[in-house]
Amino acid sequence: MAPPLIRYDPKLEEAIARIEECLQSSYSMSKRAIALLLLQGDREIEKLVEAKEGKEAADIIMQIVREMKVGGERSPLYRITMARQQLSEYIASKVVERFVPKPRTFTDGLSDWLIHPFFGLLFLLGLLYFGFYQFVGVFAAGTLVELLEDTVFGNYIIPPIERFFNWLIPWAWLRDLFVGDYGIFTLGIRYAIALLLPIVTAFFLVFSLVEDSGYFPRLALLVDRLFKGIGLSGRAVIPMVLGFGCDTMATLVTRILETRRERIIATLLLALAVPCSAQLGVMMATVSKVKGGILIWALFVLFVFLLVGFLTAKLLPGEPPRFFIEVVPLRLPRLENVLVKTWTRLQWYLLEVTPLFILASVLIWLGRITYLFDLVIAALSVPVQWVGLPKEMATVILFGFFRRDYGAAGLLDMVEKGTIDGIDLITTSIILTLFVPCIAQFLIMVREQGWRVTLAIFGFILPFAFLCGFVVRHLLLWLNQLA
Amino acid sequence: MAHQERQVSVFRSLGARLRDWWSKMGQKSLEATPQKRVVIVGSPNVGKSLIFNRLTGIYVTVSNYPGTTVEVFRGRTYIDGVLYEIVDTPGMYSLLPSSEEERVARRLLMEEQPDVVVHVVDAKNLERMLPLTLQLIEAGFSLVLALNMMDEAVKAGIQIDTELLTDILCTPVVPVIATTGQGINQLRRVIYEVAHGSTTYTIRPEIGRGDSQD
Repeated sequence: MAPPLIRYDPKLEEAIARIEECLQSSYSMSKRAIALLLLQGDREIEKLVEAKEGKEAADIIMQIVREMKVGGERSPLYRITMARQQLSEYIASKVVERFVPKPRTFTDGLSDWLIHPFFGLLFLLGLLYFGFYQFVGVFAAGTLVELLEDTVFGNYIIPPIERFFNWLIPWAWLRDLFVGDYGIFTLGIRYAIALLLPIVTAFFLVFSLVEDSGYFPRLALLVDRLFKGIGLSGRAVIPMVLGFGCDTMATLVTRILETRRERIIATLLLALAVPCSAQLGVMMATVSKVKGGILIWALFVLFVFLLVGFLTAKLLPGEPPRFFIEVVPLRLPRLENVLVKTWTRLQWYLLEVTPLFILASVLIWLGRITYLFDLVIAALSVPVQWVGLPKEMATVILFGFFRRDYGAAGLLDMVEKGTIDGIDLITTSIILTLFVPCIAQFLIMVREQGWRVTLAIFGFILPFAFLCGFVVRHLLLWLNQLA
Repeated sequence: MAHQERQVSVFRSLGARLRDWWSKMGQKSLEATPQKRVVIVGSPNVGKSLIFNRLTGIYVTVSNYPGTTVEVFRGRTYIDGVLYEIVDTPGMYSLLPSSEEERVARRLLMEEQPDVVVHVVDAKNLERMLPLTLQLIEAGFSLVLALNMMDEAVKAGIQIDTELLTDILCTPVVPVIATTGQGINQLRRVIYEVAHGSTTYTIRPEIGRGDSQD
């Protein structure tokens, strides 16, 4: 065994030596490292040592550890950390040479502007408008989707598939599974590829570009104050922004948050009030048909986001999050890295999310032929009618669960047929936005937070979405009368 | 000009990946058992994953660490005809874990029996990163220290004497710029040397002694 690089204080060294003597088994780390971890109070290593050395030897070792903790001295953890810190500082002072700091560069100035309360916000709005609204919303969700969905799928891909299944399967009930209104090909695959793929690709492209530029830590600093109010730290801005692309992925990314409390708040807000890109796309197409619709919808959803965040932060026990983020230098993103990142995210999307569309089509088909859906729709039509909407909305809302945008698409049909008016449209869009996440997000929530938390979130959102719908509808009706 | 350069590098990397893919298919590496294992560790945001990607190319599997939601990335690569498995771990600040991710990272270190551990650090913040390096040395792993983000360090007016650092730590130190791929080949070479015991770094304990005791 080579002699150690760090010598701790004599008392610690003595304890280390005594513990090392007691360790008879072999470990995948040096005995010195094991002894040090034990002295720092590492439970997992304690259990490991007990399993390997037996209860008796472990008791002797733990006695040595306890002895070190008594007395008026600093804890072993502190002393060990300090010794390492001092040696690190010493080594760094030997090998690191700092030049005279360079004069302030252009990026330093830019960095200050980005976190400036006013200009930073201005930049953020610009980025949201050009990067996300114009590029993702208008170009990808509009132009590209139209091209893919109407032209490529509508004219060239779907008709031959329909002809094929018409020829293959004589029974309409079974054919519906593949090419019906909600069939695997006509809805599941068409939606995944023609509607969502271009939107998600564009979103991930912009997101990766912004990510690689080093803008996010600055954005986190900018919004930290606001986010503190809703129980989150500035760090949560990353999953929140990602949520506008795909809430499912964003729910997964809440892992970067430090405490469980913060993760639960973020998961709730993502499920409730952050619309994903698919949903945004269809919302733009429907709600924008009413004058000022988008504005009312956006303001109300933002209001709900802040209100619920504020209330949960007040009600949920636990420490407010600490905020510590490293502000990386601004970089010019490298095209290659951005493309690779976008591609990795798309791969994830295609492999993990697309199968869920197909599953959703199958579940809808099953629900329809077993009449189970009719039951659920009947149950849902009670709150729907209470809000004051036509009861067909229950169908739209139920399908919204399988993909939030399925629901929105159903809504689009109703708008085109002219069965609902402007106020109903805004009300339904708000209910759909707030109401349950899509099935994929739901499953991820269960995986990340467990059934209990997920059902609690679900149990809150369900009545709350309808309540909001009720309030909005009556508010709008009242305002309409005034006007 | 700059634009052209970037395009070229995209194509070069695509070409490299294709070659990589082709040679892997030829050697059926997916079925072959790796002969050596490398575990990459480091605190969050130091470019571990980028270095991992640079080392492995696109053949990567992702799995959850049993019983957790923490993801572990595994990839493979050939260095001089020897098949290496590369494991990317979640970020860790210290060997003493304080979060689930750190616990997983440490379990991986202990369970995978790595032939080489690559500690990736941010060259701009060497002082903050060294405590983990010291712990990894203490734990007896065959260590390679990868000083990442050298370009940013230089921009920030920081110069690091890597030879002196190698001497002090008795651990090979490789400067890299993961975003551009500079230094990756040298890193591969050093990993190979450490894995095969062809470089010996004798321990010189006296350097630390006097200073850690006050």
